[in-house]
Amino acid sequence: MATAPQALTSERWARAPFYFNSASHLLRISREKASNLQELLEAVRSCSDACIFQHTFQTLEEHHFIREGFSNDFSHWAFSACNEVGLAERLAALDVREFTSITALRERLVTMIESYLAKNPRAGSRPATEPFYLMAAELVVVPTPYVARNLEEFADGLRKVSIHSIYYHFIDARLRIKLNNNDFSVWLDQELDLGAAADRINRIDIYTSTLEGVRRNILRTIESEIARG
Amino acid sequence: MKEEKQKPKLVAEKAPDPASPGTNAADQDGGPSVKEQSREADVETKERRFRQTDLPTHFIERRRHPRIQTEPPPPPAPPRLEDYSAIIGKPELDEIRFLARHLQGKTVKMVNSTAVGGGVAEILNRLIPLMNELEIPTKWEVITGGNDFYEVTKGFHNALHGGEFNLTQQIQDIFMSYNEQNRQRMEFAEDLFVIHDPQPAGLIRSKAETRGRWIWRCHIDLSNPHPGVWDFLKPLVEQYDATIFSSPAFTRQLNVPQYLFFPSIDPLSEKNKELEESTIDKVCDDFGIDRSRPILCQISRFDRLKDPVGVIEAYKLVKKYVDCQLVLAGGGATDDPEGAAVLEEVMTAAGDDPDVIILNLPPWSALEINALQRAATIIIQKSLKEGFGLTVTEGLWKEKPVVAGAVGGIPTQIIHKLTGVLVHSVEGCAYQIRYLLTHPEFAAQLGKNGREHAKENFLITVNLKRWLLLFQILLGVAKPSKTS
Repeated sequence: MATAPQALTSERWARAPFYFNSASHLLRISREKASNLQELLEAVRSCSDACIFQHTFQTLEEHHFIREGFSNDFSHWAFSACNEVGLAERLAALDVREFTSITALRERLVTMIESYLAKNPRAGSRPATEPFYLMAAELVVVPTPYVARNLEEFADGLRKVSIHSIYYHFIDARLRIKLNNNDFSVWLDQELDLGAAADRINRIDIYTSTLEGVRRNILRTIESEIARG
Repeated sequence: MKEEKQKPKLVAEKAPDPASPGTNAADQDGGPSVKEQSREADVETKERRFRQTDLPTHFIERRRHPRIQTEPPPPPAPPRLEDYSAIIGKPELDEIRFLARHLQGKTVKMVNSTAVGGGVAEILNRLIPLMNELEIPTKWEVITGGNDFYEVTKGFHNALHGGEFNLTQQIQDIFMSYNEQNRQRMEFAEDLFVIHDPQPAGLIRSKAETRGRWIWRCHIDLSNPHPGVWDFLKPLVEQYDATIFSSPAFTRQLNVPQYLFFPSIDPLSEKNKELEESTIDKVCDDFGIDRSRPILCQISRFDRLKDPVGVIEAYKLVKKYVDCQLVLAGGGATDDPEGAAVLEEVMTAAGDDPDVIILNLPPWSALEINALQRAATIIIQKSLKEGFGLTVTEGLWKEKPVVAGAVGGIPTQIIHKLTGVLVHSVEGCAYQIRYLLTHPEFAAQLGKNGREHAKENFLITVNLKRWLLLFQILLGVAKPSKTS
């Protein structure tokens, strides 16, 4: 629980506190299924936003402990079930942090698959070794009792919340705030005028780090700001 | 724990059957019957396995006469929620408590068909005390039925996995009449009803008389069901408010929401808790397993769908290049009468190789299974058909490299070459085992990733969280947020 500030070393106080939330999700099995790349293209065009979210944003959280070789489900399937290394590589390079809407992300996915199939027309109907089942994430936001009004409380909250909370504020946030940014950086910049620290945090690479690694990186930045006073 | 001190039997040895006509005939004319001759030949085959071997005597002795617990140990006290803190961390545990807060006082009834044996009973045994601790009163009831009912449900089980089945009117009547008997016997006063698998699916007929929400939890693979059996069950399933499957590949088109819940293991159970090395040593010693050489291990009941004979064939291919032992350990679930026949086939396939260690373990061998998995160099689960494959989950949790058939829920658990290795044939299985035995660093990395994967997705705490989320959604306590 956030407590009344005691023995503070930081002089900066936020105008609005930071409320740590977390998010839990259930997987709903969708009707769409792809047995080859052409079917995947059609499924990506027609599936719900929650499906695109699941197979890009959410799967990154689910596999956060794998530091290399996993980016999103579409890429993994193109590689392991379709043996289309070229497409898999391009899909793997897709960085969800660049997208602030599922619509834009879906368009990019469609363009990538379409252009690959235009150059490799036979790849479209080649059967995959196993089908791709589209799933939809049903996300439930879970409030936590942790609230921060200054850097010390913020660091304390960061240490106490689950990695799902880190993911919710650091990655999922982009879709909520519609900015190429995250909740932590926005708060640090807007509430505590720590623009440089906010920027450093926003540049932490989720694709080459585990979520625990992200937490440690953010904490390092915050602790060094606290030390600077 | 009480140990068997008397001379135990070899695992596949059967007690003489006094009712056997062959035995009676032999008694009458003084000569051995055909059945007896066959049994003697069988024992001869088993003994031959140990004649020409340079194994130390104590291993031979234990392999001939494994020390198998003859009585169940007293059940340990179920863990408290707080006990999981050391495993998943306080923040994770706090999230579970936050989620449960909105459900406190809501009541749940879970119904399945067996109280012991099999993965479902194992999960419920652990899940229900945790729900109760979270102040969500949860009751577990088991349906009852005669032999005719269990024969029908066993037939349904096989048919839903694609087997042949003659669905007569009489069979349908047996199924529905036992469901009806159970429906009459039970009370349905709770807020949520979770009905596990097809056996009690007919209880849904009580839905109209209750105020609660009904969930059908299907633990089996419905991807290729016998059409007649599925057509019979589908109208029942479509009356539920939600269905849950263990893999998207197991589902059918239904007009009710389908959720994906991975089955789970309990990291604090006898089968999965951390063990002292001395305990692992003792169990290996009891079974004559040599810990100085690589150990391949498949834990599963003796069932053709687990392909134990295929595992022996793969082992024999590996053995040409790498000295190793194979442990096939399992038992028969209470609803699996074919186990004994499969065990015979396995014994025959093992032939005269003393390094194939076959253990027919009683259902109370969780600790022994834990030790065997922890002693293993590689865990195999070469299933031809699979539900979810909780033995794979157990292997992943124990940080072991797992080589498993790409069937059922296994590909969900094993991301090929990232959290384990998927195989499609005896030869492929043998090759991957050889590769892992000769590349221990890669094997260790798979084990590490596998454990994390299990921790994130397949522990009972994650399962508990999913139930809480689903209950919140079905009761309208929470609304999923939009992602756009």
